[in-house]
Amino acid sequence: MKKMCAIIAAATAIAVPAMAAENHGGNVVYTKPVKSVHFSHKVHVEEKELSCDLCHARNFEMQALKAQENDDFTMKSLVEGKYCGTCHNGIMAFASNTRCAACHSGVKGTGLSQGSDSANVRIALN
Amino acid sequence: MRQIKHDLDSMKNEGQENVPMEERRQFLKMGLAITGIFAGGTIFSAMSVMDKVFASTDEFTAQYPYKPHYGMILFQNRCIDCERCVAACVETNDVPHYGYRTRILMKEMPDAVGLKREFIPVFCNHCNIPQCTRVCPTKATYKDQANGIVMIDINKCIGCLTCQEACPYNARYFNEEKHAVDKCNFCFDTRLSKGEKLTGCAAACPATCRVFGDLSDKGSDLFKAVHQLERPVWVLRPEAGTKPNVFYTKDTSPVAFK
Repeated sequence: MKKMCAIIAAATAIAVPAMAAENHGGNVVYTKPVKSVHFSHKVHVEEKELSCDLCHARNFEMQALKAQENDDFTMKSLVEGKYCGTCHNGIMAFASNTRCAACHSGVKGTGLSQGSDSANVRIALN
Repeated sequence: MRQIKHDLDSMKNEGQENVPMEERRQFLKMGLAITGIFAGGTIFSAMSVMDKVFASTDEFTAQYPYKPHYGMILFQNRCIDCERCVAACVETNDVPHYGYRTRILMKEMPDAVGLKREFIPVFCNHCNIPQCTRVCPTKATYKDQANGIVMIDINKCIGCLTCQEACPYNARYFNEEKHAVDKCNFCFDTRLSKGEKLTGCAAACPATCRVFGDLSDKGSDLFKAVHQLERPVWVLRPEAGTKPNVFYTKDTSPVAFK
């Protein structure tokens, strides 16, 4: 009995971090300053094959929703090249002053919970 | 090509009712424009204007002489569904939870190239040929001749909801507290009549999606936006023939953030 518990515990210990790694951080739904903007790790990491460092070395902390605590988390900052605007400048990716509804999922999109990957997110990010 | 000979005397009159509408229209459109002047012996010259299209603001203001002539243009690409406009409207006009004066519709097109989703604010269009005022049995709803806003007199409304049926834009709902139909009135009683220049929704929008103004003022942002040839501007459900005063457009260049 004790052996079984130990095996199960070990298996879970290996499995959970593995699942998290596959998740890459999931969906992040920002609600400040406006509701809401969603960011899909799946699209950026799996589809676009971007490395973690590209964003997490300087622009973003590896903690969900940390960015919206800053007062300068505004569209103006993005256009000036901060945060998402580092790449979304029309050269590396679509400019942040175009395709507003690609990221802005609105009040209707606030239902997106962390980790889920609903059809709404798929359609939006392209 | 064989010549078809017409003997006018032997031809029968087909009757006015048998002349197709299109033919009648073409005949009536056959207008003439005076392109010269009559000055002692010189005869004016007239030019056929059959295929010209005119957009004269003077004709429009003659037919719809509201001053101010309130309207709004939506920069549809800027709407991000933050719904601050909805919240502001609810707050300003006491809109109950079961009703709405303005809504944000979402359109998704999975096969679209690039952006695949957009948001569309919809509310009372304050039409120049309103269908709601036509059907009201008590004249509770009417187009205010002073400012063009389609108003509702809650004392006269009997709640028959025919106006709700008639509106092509689903702009009306029944307000239980007022015991009358309610809809957007451009915040006339709550803001405009109190000296505010903007409606609640226009003031609340963080993306400058809603541009409210006076169509009779040629210097207003609204007038300018609606009258640019290079800017596509449309209305919702033009086939309904209601001549709305709410217009839609999209930015023709990337959005500017202040």
